[in-house]
Amino acid sequence: MSDTLLLVLQALLLVTGCLFFAVGTLGLFRLPDTLTRIHALTKADNLGLGLIVMGLLPAVAGPATAAKILLIWLVALAASATAAHLVGRALRAMEDGDDGSGP
Amino acid sequence: MAYAGSAAVRTALLLVVWWALTEGDPGAAGFGLGAAVLVALVSLRFFPPAAPHPRLAATLAFAGYFLLRSMVAGVDVARRLLSPRLPLRPGYLTYTTALAEGRPRWLLANALSLLPGTLSVTLRGDELELHCLDTSLPVHEDVARAEHWIARMFAG
Repeated sequence: MSDTLLLVLQALLLVTGCLFFAVGTLGLFRLPDTLTRIHALTKADNLGLGLIVMGLLPAVAGPATAAKILLIWLVALAASATAAHLVGRALRAMEDGDDGSGP
Repeated sequence: MAYAGSAAVRTALLLVVWWALTEGDPGAAGFGLGAAVLVALVSLRFFPPAAPHPRLAATLAFAGYFLLRSMVAGVDVARRLLSPRLPLRPGYLTYTTALAEGRPRWLLANALSLLPGTLSVTLRGDELELHCLDTSLPVHEDVARAEHWIARMFAG
């Protein structure tokens, strides 16, 4: 009984996670400019990935695999925050008239 | 002494990463140990141990705050995107941070990009330029709260 409950919970987490990814992608089409699009992609995808990670954790083979999945999530978080900042900074620099490679 | 301590901590962290990457395969442990020690030593040349070290309890508190608020961020952005009216009031806001230069400021800038309604655009000195999804929200207070948690992490 509790196995079925866990399975339902996992399915719910995975599906909700995918929905957040879909919403983030919807943002690419609906939003008016680059910066607001980055908002949508970083925040919605971060939550989507988090939910998928939580949905996968009960099904892993052992603690090392769980740690690997958590590591993937952590690295993806750092990468998305850094990429968002770099795109924003380059865009701002272009508005100011240089090429965005400055410090 | 601080050097040896940092080397030990970094080696231990790298071993955890190795253990996760190889999914605990004991056959890979020997190679991993060698690689972890080498990488820790090389990393110390590029990134020497910097004071103050983040404090464990305050780091966990910040992690909890960050997790909760980044969930709010995702839901908030999804709610706006799914609303037919697309409620946005984008704009820039410049925030002057009291955090020390280096890691604390970078952590704040990166964390804010994943917290509700803010995206860090530029960081020049102590001036952090943010792009906000909705400038009618109390963005300044939200940023100050995140800053407070990070300041506690690095309080010497």
